[in-house]
Amino acid sequence: MTELIQNVIDGLGRGSIYALLALGVAVIFGVMHLLNFAHGELITVSGYAAYAAFSTGWSWYLVAPLVIVVSILTSLVIERVAFSRVRNASSFTQLLTSFGIHFLVSAMFVMYVGARVKTFSEPSWISDTTAIGPITVEVFDLVVIAVTAVTLAATVVILQKTMFGLALRAAAADFDTARLMGVDSDRVIRGAFALSGALAGIAGIFWLMRAGNTAPSSGIDPMLKGVLAALIGGLGSLRGAVLGGLALGVAEVVLRSQLPGTAAALTDGVVFALIALLFIFRPQGLITVSHAERV
Amino acid sequence: MASSQFFPSRDRDVAFPILGSALLFAALVGAGLLYAALQGGTASQNLVTSMFIDAMMVVGLQIYVGNTGVFSFGHIGFGAIAGYTFALLAIDPADKLARIPEAPFGLLDVNTSPVVATLVAVVVTVLIAGVVGIGLARSGAKSGSVSATVITLALLFVTHEVAKSWTDVTGGDRAGLAFGIGDTLDGRLALFLCLFASIVVARLFAQSRSGRLAQAAREDNLAARAMGINPTVQQTIALLLSVGVIAVAASLRVYEVGSVLPNLFFFDYTLLTLVMLVVGGRNSVSGALLGVAAITAARELARRLGSEGFEIFGIGLDGAPLDWIFREGLPRVVLGFAMVGFMIWRPDGLIDDWELDGWLHRRFGAKSSRPASAETLPVVEEHVLRTDEVVVDFGGFRALDGANIEASNREVVGLIGPNGAGKTTLVNVITGMVEPTEGRVELAGSDLTSAPSHEIARAGLVRTFQNLRLFSSLTVRENVEVSCLVAASHRVHSTGVTADELVETAGLWEHRDRRASELDYGNSRRLELARAAGMNPTFLLLDEPTSGMSDAESLEMVEHVRRMAATVGAGVLVIDHDLQFIVGICDRVYCLDQGTVISEGSPSEIQADPAVQAAYLGTAAQT
Repeated sequence: MTELIQNVIDGLGRGSIYALLALGVAVIFGVMHLLNFAHGELITVSGYAAYAAFSTGWSWYLVAPLVIVVSILTSLVIERVAFSRVRNASSFTQLLTSFGIHFLVSAMFVMYVGARVKTFSEPSWISDTTAIGPITVEVFDLVVIAVTAVTLAATVVILQKTMFGLALRAAAADFDTARLMGVDSDRVIRGAFALSGALAGIAGIFWLMRAGNTAPSSGIDPMLKGVLAALIGGLGSLRGAVLGGLALGVAEVVLRSQLPGTAAALTDGVVFALIALLFIFRPQGLITVSHAERV
Repeated sequence: MASSQFFPSRDRDVAFPILGSALLFAALVGAGLLYAALQGGTASQNLVTSMFIDAMMVVGLQIYVGNTGVFSFGHIGFGAIAGYTFALLAIDPADKLARIPEAPFGLLDVNTSPVVATLVAVVVTVLIAGVVGIGLARSGAKSGSVSATVITLALLFVTHEVAKSWTDVTGGDRAGLAFGIGDTLDGRLALFLCLFASIVVARLFAQSRSGRLAQAAREDNLAARAMGINPTVQQTIALLLSVGVIAVAASLRVYEVGSVLPNLFFFDYTLLTLVMLVVGGRNSVSGALLGVAAITAARELARRLGSEGFEIFGIGLDGAPLDWIFREGLPRVVLGFAMVGFMIWRPDGLIDDWELDGWLHRRFGAKSSRPASAETLPVVEEHVLRTDEVVVDFGGFRALDGANIEASNREVVGLIGPNGAGKTTLVNVITGMVEPTEGRVELAGSDLTSAPSHEIARAGLVRTFQNLRLFSSLTVRENVEVSCLVAASHRVHSTGVTADELVETAGLWEHRDRRASELDYGNSRRLELARAAGMNPTFLLLDEPTSGMSDAESLEMVEHVRRMAATVGAGVLVIDHDLQFIVGICDRVYCLDQGTVISEGSPSEIQADPAVQAAYLGTAAQT
């Protein structure tokens, strides 16, 4: 029982990071109907920024905000340079654009920084544990869960209480109508990318703390987790993305502790296969955002 | 119809494509061999060999992605399945004992020739593709759908994980499976034969009945179903064919490389093949091959500029500060740039859907002579279309509330009513696009309620759309040919009217080779009608055929609808707002309001009915 609770807390810690990534994916999908395969590159870029900062002697307290800023800027630059030019193109084109960016960013790092993994020191408290009654939990997990909770609360406030949030939700519901109602589509989309970048930045801090390194291909893993979690949650739904992230985190930890070595490594594959099956057998239940075609 | 069931025209769809394939093959192979001969050395030989293998892969990918418009990440996953199957069967038992001593199913003792191994790999992979195809079909995969992306990506990913983790069979990430066959592809004869065959298969498929129906569904899934096409069948055929080609190419690739590791068929190769496909033009085989040549050349150039500096191919820029570009890793950056750049500036690729053989046929093929307008066809057998107490609820809103209409194929029946009266909903129910909450739809006594759209179309109820749904990147003639092809295999009676005659009758002969998207509005409407007529329908269901037309144009439309209906001997059920049009064309009119029929009669009777006037003017009906 205590082991289970410990696993769940561990899973929620992991899942919180996934939830933030998934939320970023879902926000973009909401306004652009784009499955953003370039999302993980925000973490690659901010990882290298963190590495550069560490090598000039910065501490984690300075690096953390830097990661967020770099992530937001990267997100905006990618939007400006690439996605804004394919906004009205077919989803085929948009998808391949995001796929291309994913490769381009990692290829640039290989070319200019080298293929080698760059390591930096994790924060000293990363593996500290604390006891709550009979349960031993990692302080890191508690911090992640707390920060995620605050971030999600802030996101809810932004979405519910601000004009930008209203415009974003309107655009997600029906982009064309929102534009006709005077929503500035450029601003909404830029805002969505900034929000998505901020969420990825916060997730990125924890991701980098845990990993302690960065490499050109670092983006694949967070991209995959974010996309998978967003898919579990139904893609368009923001609440679903958060729940999907938490569920993915808990599933991973539980599977890893219950299954033998090789099988545990297959978690992502199993999750992916399950999602594919879900799409096959319940396409209408999953894709909540697809609108009925008018005939 | 007069033409063949599988290829509308023997010249254009069989002879020229084979000729074109031979020329494309000769151009690619010629260019490759010439380069290798000029450069000399094994490195350039290897480069050219892998270009030929990549070409097969990309052609295989094109068969599916190009014709169906469904985006697939999974084809390289199929390649992995084929590659491992091939390796497990073809590798020398002694090598297997060294690498995968624990292999189950007696795989250790299997030792087949490469040819047999390839054939088994094709069979195994195509069978798996069949299962995946059923899944894709179930998920409603169509052009641009997220479900297809996710399912195919899952396939690629799961295949990769299995290849990495099932070390007893695959040798995992490190060991891999290396070859002890001795032979390599040096002779290249097998490779040439397979590549040529792939190009021919891809071109013939694109011109075949199945390919054309798949392309129609790619352009507009809903309209394709309304024309009697079952997109999932055509998509599955394309998938199986394409995976077959991929499986052969993957076997050749493993054979050539001499070993197989999980990363041989993963993201990097997916990116490479996709870039090759989209750079040339994914909707064309010529484009796919052009993309293969262009990207191979660009990568090689980038590699050499990157590794040898900038004194290559006569480009000597000593001292120029360009080493920030020309350095290791450039080829990958070039690939990434090619993908993003083409998506931004030229998403349809260098040559879009241009085909060499199509151009040759237009240039040198026998010109089709202008056909005579089609004769009118008397209606032989009477069929009655009847809706019986049809009710449709959308959530809490009742769009149709017991609508009863009846129409014979000897007459033109109009359906009028104010906005929101339920006219389009009724047509959607009749054509299977909206499921009725209650009630029945019958044609000639047989129940069609809730049948799939394509079966209703095959039963003879063919519709047009209020907001025009043409197969926009197909030509005018191809639009009509698609429905004629469906009619040839699914309609019992033949009218003997050819696609060309319909195009002429619609007054579109001059425009026959233009894309449907290039037509003006009136011509588009006429084309939509001709396309519907090509289905040889019992009834034409026209949803606002004159919307957006001027008075003069809609008067012309009266004549046009009459002539088209008479050409194929069909009855007409027409929705319109335009009273002049309705009065001009209809024998009988139903007026709908709030989901029920409030009046029925000749056009003049309807015009005089106070209930109709009340419904239109919004005053309470006084009865």
